[in-house]
Amino acid sequence: MDTRRTAIVLAALGTALGLSTVAAAQSQYPERPIKMIVPWAAGGDTDNIFRPFAAELQKQLGQPVVIANVTGASGTAGAREARNSPADGYTLYAVHDYIHLTYYAGISDVKYTDFEPICLVAATPSVLTASPKTPWKSWQDLAEDAKKRPGQITVGATLGSTSHIFPAMIEKASGVKFKYVSYEGLAPRMNAILGGHVDLTDSNLTQKGSVEAGLLKFIAIASEQRTPEAPNVPTLKELGMNIVYEVVRGVMAPKNTPAAVRQRLDQACTKAVTEPAFAASMKAQGTAVAHKNSADYAKFLDKIDGDNKAIMADLNLLKR
Amino acid sequence: MPLGRDGIAGLIAAALGLVLFVQTFAFPQMPLVPVGPGFYPRIVLAAMVLAGAGLALQDWRARRGAGAEAEPLRLSLPGRLVLAGFAIVAAYCALLPVLGYRLATLLFVAIFQAALEWPRQARDWVWLAGVALATTVVTYLMFESYLLVLLPRGSLTGW
Amino acid sequence: MIDLLANGLVQIVQWKYLLPLLLGTVAGVIGGALPGVTITLTIIVVLPFTFGLDPLQGLAAMTGVYVGGSAGGLVTACLLGIPGTPSAIATTFEGFPMARGGQPGRAIWLGVWASFFGGLIGGAFLILVTGPLAKIALAFGPWEYFSLFILAMAMVAGLAEASLLKGVIATAIGLLITVIGTDPIMAVPRFNFGSEFIGAGFPFLPVLIGIFAFAQIMTDIEKMSAPKMAGAAGAAPSLRVAHLKVIGEILSRPFLLLWSSLVGIVIGVLPAIGGSAASVLAYDQAKKFSRRPEKFGSGVPEGIIASESSNNANVGGSLVTIMAFGIPGDAVTAVMLGAMTIHGITSGPLFMVKHSELAYGIYAAYILAHVLMVAVVWVCALFLLRIVNVRLAVLAPVVMTLCVIGAYALNNTMQGVYVLLLFGVIGYVLVKAGFPLAPLILGLILGDQIEINLIRAIMTDDNPWLFVTRPISGGLLLAAATSVGLAVWQHLRHQKKVAAAESEPNF
Repeated sequence: MDTRRTAIVLAALGTALGLSTVAAAQSQYPERPIKMIVPWAAGGDTDNIFRPFAAELQKQLGQPVVIANVTGASGTAGAREARNSPADGYTLYAVHDYIHLTYYAGISDVKYTDFEPICLVAATPSVLTASPKTPWKSWQDLAEDAKKRPGQITVGATLGSTSHIFPAMIEKASGVKFKYVSYEGLAPRMNAILGGHVDLTDSNLTQKGSVEAGLLKFIAIASEQRTPEAPNVPTLKELGMNIVYEVVRGVMAPKNTPAAVRQRLDQACTKAVTEPAFAASMKAQGTAVAHKNSADYAKFLDKIDGDNKAIMADLNLLKR
Repeated sequence: MPLGRDGIAGLIAAALGLVLFVQTFAFPQMPLVPVGPGFYPRIVLAAMVLAGAGLALQDWRARRGAGAEAEPLRLSLPGRLVLAGFAIVAAYCALLPVLGYRLATLLFVAIFQAALEWPRQARDWVWLAGVALATTVVTYLMFESYLLVLLPRGSLTGW
Repeated sequence: MIDLLANGLVQIVQWKYLLPLLLGTVAGVIGGALPGVTITLTIIVVLPFTFGLDPLQGLAAMTGVYVGGSAGGLVTACLLGIPGTPSAIATTFEGFPMARGGQPGRAIWLGVWASFFGGLIGGAFLILVTGPLAKIALAFGPWEYFSLFILAMAMVAGLAEASLLKGVIATAIGLLITVIGTDPIMAVPRFNFGSEFIGAGFPFLPVLIGIFAFAQIMTDIEKMSAPKMAGAAGAAPSLRVAHLKVIGEILSRPFLLLWSSLVGIVIGVLPAIGGSAASVLAYDQAKKFSRRPEKFGSGVPEGIIASESSNNANVGGSLVTIMAFGIPGDAVTAVMLGAMTIHGITSGPLFMVKHSELAYGIYAAYILAHVLMVAVVWVCALFLLRIVNVRLAVLAPVVMTLCVIGAYALNNTMQGVYVLLLFGVIGYVLVKAGFPLAPLILGLILGDQIEINLIRAIMTDDNPWLFVTRPISGGLLLAAATSVGLAVWQHLRHQKKVAAAESEPNF
């Protein structure tokens, strides 16, 4: 067999196929696998939430939805990759609040307005968590101790991200002062807090098992009401701080994705999030299903973008 | 001044380290962090500059000690095949997003084989094409269909 | 613990896991047997296949490669007199003369069974020690981790054969690569020169694949033009042998077996020293302890037993360090660590608690891999001889294709592929300039962690003396200083003997 001839034949075949794809793209979306960019590592919180979601979305769309973990630079690598992808509906972008924070912190040049919102999927309330080596039994103990020695209680956090913003809001509301130590990601934070190398950290209900085993202490939860998962943990509102802080995760598509495609995705998403299997897997992760369709999600994004900007300004981290 | 391979390598390391060392002072200081982003790089670069200078010095002294017998610096260029190998792999990487995985890989495996060992008989050509085709088809099916890794599509071929 | 291990075994014998383990072992034996293809290269080739599998499937495949590779090298070592993989170096010293002397079967099977027993001793250590070590590791704060990493680097830089200064420069280059991109605390851009390509930083696995795969393949290509090594004996040798007798030969030397395995384990636990050092050191020990050292080199069984039991026990030792501390002992475990990270699994003190099923799955895979390894060599020892002769012209393109897929699939972007190419060139140049690669890789692996633990320690408490006054941290730093001191002393002692002889690339 002549390799060159084969190659030419294959090339011609490829070109023909390519042209037909473009022509057919509008008519019957989706007709090939869809790539969903998750800007964090596989097995992380975000990945764990979007994997079951992708499975449900795939059932609704009738084409595989493949998760592509594009990691690096605090989630900015994935954001850039998604922004630069063709706006044909075959690349989706799984996002959470970090997009606002990294933009205002000057880490990233990607803004949420570089994308078309598709739908909001889930919300995970933050829980203030203490090391077993600390003496506090409740928020009152902690607040008293913190007032006695300002700037000495250590908090493990990813600086400039959600795990930093959340304790910073508590600082502001209660007038205490913490000392921040950089621990990026939930797993290293858990190592540090179990070993007593930091006193406090932001975690979520996925750590319930460790709390029940006496390895960790939940101090307070940042949801509207107490959760049935951990009914003994008070909300920050009960403790007199007007803080509700949830990490919200949704799906977006590159700017100028055709309206028909977006509508199809919005419909599929609405159906996917209502599947009982999805709700069950979210519950196992201490997360609530929080659906908003594309119109509502767009409004919501505008609101939380303003909120995040204000918080960053308060913390003196605003770079834009 | 006679300098051997090690001496030159040491000087390059020291020079590179020095240039980057100076650059670290341009890094912005961040709130909340007591030492800036340049603190740690400076430690690493200082070690590199010192070790590089030390290596150059060691080489220079060894060569001066050896006196007239010191062999002159010989630059051994990599062989033709190695250069060709690098060029072919580089071309493959560059063409991957243009031609798409399947086409680029088919061409790459075929050309790289031919470059390393030019086929002499018809049988060799068949073997070469077979290996190229098999590699492409098997890896493509394996990754795209079974392992769900979406391999690059060609921007030119759309394939 | 026994029941956890039993559970692990029950789990691993399911087809779902057994098949990747078996395929990994076969790949390892073949890769190990191919001269010029190291275990590192084999595991790099296997890496992309593990992306789509579940974590235990992937790790089982990699464990199989690791164990199989350590054994595969000995077949080539005995029959061709070339170590199929660096960790079989010392096996050639005795195995080849023995095979030449008309006992190829005895040589190979002494090696295989010694690998088997050495591996199992390493396995017992792995299972008994990892848990307690992980508990101690929880007490490691940023100070202790920082000092531990310094110790690891001090040892590896000091071990560089060529020169201590080159070891230090190679380490610094590795550390520097991790500095480029953004700083780990606030993502401040560093040394990106305004380029988005550099700005994203260089992800560890493409750099590792680039440096090792290119350095290996290109060095092989270079040798292609050189005259061919004298091939194997024309007629296929008979490998028939009485297995019980061979096993008896090994077990009748319990002290040798235990001591060589211990050497292997200790070298495995210490970061980045690797199987080749284990093999040579155990061989050397066997010679020192022998009643007939003058016979060494003429095909004595002790040499084969020492070399092969120690390089397989070494695998168990490396797995301990990677599981308890998250520090890879060599390039092979570095790739395994990378594969775990891709699946979102953080190794380290919590690994045993959080992923105990996975941990015991790995133990079970490790033990079972030894049984499979014996079976694989049994079935295809002769067939291996044919594979060993696969032409590089076919091997090189296929291996390169898999490396490119591996680099691409890590992040699903071309960035990884370009990084692969860039560091392929850099790695090749460094090897040509006589720099050892092991310290570079260790620097590359630990760079981020060293920096972040240093900064964390300063952020937690601004007293720098804590690095010395905290007992574990102080002890580790003292050990690091001692190690450097020893290396300098040895270096000075040897300096007069140093010839300008070129050393082989250090894998």
